[in-house]
Amino acid sequence: MKTIHIVAIFILVACIQLFVPAKMIYDKEAIIEDGTVYKFKTRPIDPNDPFRGKYITLDYDINAIKTDDTLWQRKDEAYLYIRKDADGFATPVTVSREKQDLDEDYILTEVIWYNSNEREVNLQLPFNRYYMEETKAYDAEVAHRKAQRDSLPDNTYALVYIKNGSAVLSDILIDEVSIKDHVEMQQDKKGEKP
Amino acid sequence: MNMNTKLMKELPELLENKVISQDVADAIEAYYTTQNDAKPNRLFTVFGVLGATLVGLGIILILAHNWDDFSKSIKTVWAFLPLVIGQLIVGYSILKGKSDTWKEASGVFLFFAVGASIALVSQIYNIPGNLSSFLLTWILLCTPLIYLLKSKAVAILHLVFATYYVFEYGYGYGSRTPWYYLLLLAVLAPFYIQLLKHYTTSNMTSIFNWLIPLSITISLGAFVGRGDDEYGFLIYVILFGMFYSIGKIPYFQDQKLRRNGFLVFGSLGTITTVLFTTFRWYWKDLANGTSTHTETIILAGVLFALALLILGYSYAKKWVKEFNLFQYVFIIFAILFFIGMVNISIPVIITNLLIFSLGMITIKIGADQFHFGILNYGLLIVTALVICRFFDANISFVVRGLLFVIVGAGFFLTNYIMLKKQKSNTL
Repeated sequence: MKTIHIVAIFILVACIQLFVPAKMIYDKEAIIEDGTVYKFKTRPIDPNDPFRGKYITLDYDINAIKTDDTLWQRKDEAYLYIRKDADGFATPVTVSREKQDLDEDYILTEVIWYNSNEREVNLQLPFNRYYMEETKAYDAEVAHRKAQRDSLPDNTYALVYIKNGSAVLSDILIDEVSIKDHVEMQQDKKGEKP
Repeated sequence: MNMNTKLMKELPELLENKVISQDVADAIEAYYTTQNDAKPNRLFTVFGVLGATLVGLGIILILAHNWDDFSKSIKTVWAFLPLVIGQLIVGYSILKGKSDTWKEASGVFLFFAVGASIALVSQIYNIPGNLSSFLLTWILLCTPLIYLLKSKAVAILHLVFATYYVFEYGYGYGSRTPWYYLLLLAVLAPFYIQLLKHYTTSNMTSIFNWLIPLSITISLGAFVGRGDDEYGFLIYVILFGMFYSIGKIPYFQDQKLRRNGFLVFGSLGTITTVLFTTFRWYWKDLANGTSTHTETIILAGVLFALALLILGYSYAKKWVKEFNLFQYVFIIFAILFFIGMVNISIPVIITNLLIFSLGMITIKIGADQFHFGILNYGLLIVTALVICRFFDANISFVVRGLLFVIVGAGFFLTNYIMLKKQKSNTL
């Protein structure tokens, strides 16, 4: 192969290498631009990923949905249709194996397991990770747990943009403050004490 | 400084004292200059690749801090900056026809820059995508670099990350069959064949001779259906039989043992897996017969056919000169596997005999070749067998004790006799 051919192929490869992250960004931006924003009630914990750093895993209140279908299997695809309640929180409408002709937004999810006693299917929502600065991830988990234990209902939730079945998790809020800022305030307070 | 330069320095003195003629001196000088050209600064390449790896991994780690203070747009710039820099350096190396050092190091840097880029985008948009799909995207985006740069370092990264992918995707809770691994391996095959053809004795080639069987050994288990453990042993015995046959192909056989990863993996693997099946519990589980996934049975069948094909081909090519039990273990084991479905005792006895014979044969080969390594490897095989039997409660203590004493004495005796023979030979 001549150098010029190798260069030509390399330019193609380089373009693909640039295109993939760019397309990821474009798709996500499109959702934020045109998508509908929902609030999701959550419960987080903090693991880490070797290449992408610390994150908190989110467990959502609407993970478990009542259903008449008893044949759900692990790893099945499920379309979860949701509606906004008066406060902007997402509430489940229905869950089905196929796309339905409904006006409501839907999320493409994966089945974790089917609870036959409760007749509930447990779903993995495709926005269960929130990457955090490494010094904040653990404190975020603690802050979140505390905020949930206090008397105020619905004071911790995730802000999610949804469009055509895809979603972008943009922020997590505790008492209407972004979890990043919330943790920072808590850490500042701790620092002032001694 | 090495021998060559030392010799070069001595040349004028040798000439002066008329030990050698001018022609000879010129010839020696010419020979060593071409030698040096043939292996240009290999050390530079190694350091270049190491440096690029460390810098690349460092960038990924720094970005993984998830800087809150940076806005989304600054983070986006950071996602592309290392990638574009890497691409420019690689483009420059190709266009200017730079040395291997340049190509290897820039290729490795670009490899990690691609990883950093998609990792940062996932962080910005909180994309959960599990680690395995992230790794797969990463590997596939960098695969062409292996061929465009003829980069061995990128090929090694490709293989290592493909194995990592299997580990994440195919093992553990909720695992699935990592079919993409076969694709990733197939993509690498032409590159490996080129290496075997043109760089037979290169150290790089021997690294691949070890890494490829290692990667396959790690990955194969992910293709065995969940709970099909008994079949799993059969599948691994067949795989190691196949490795052994590959290692016995004259191309590999004629090389030093340390270059022949296939043979070593085949031999050690065969012994270890068969040793596990000398226990009664294995055959009890098999006879209890739980249902097996069709996928697993097909895998065993395909692998067996492949191993048989390689063995048959070796026969046709007259590569197999003398009977070597190691090469037939997988066939014997496959037969035992079917007997084992209805009978427990026969396979237990035969697997024990099989390991014992393999040990004895190895000892004999070691003694014939006056090779202490092989001799003691054979003794170790027998020892391992005896240690396994130590745990069998249904053999009397006296018999077990005697077995230990006999094998222990065997160690001393064989080594002693060999030493003595060797001494008398040299005298």
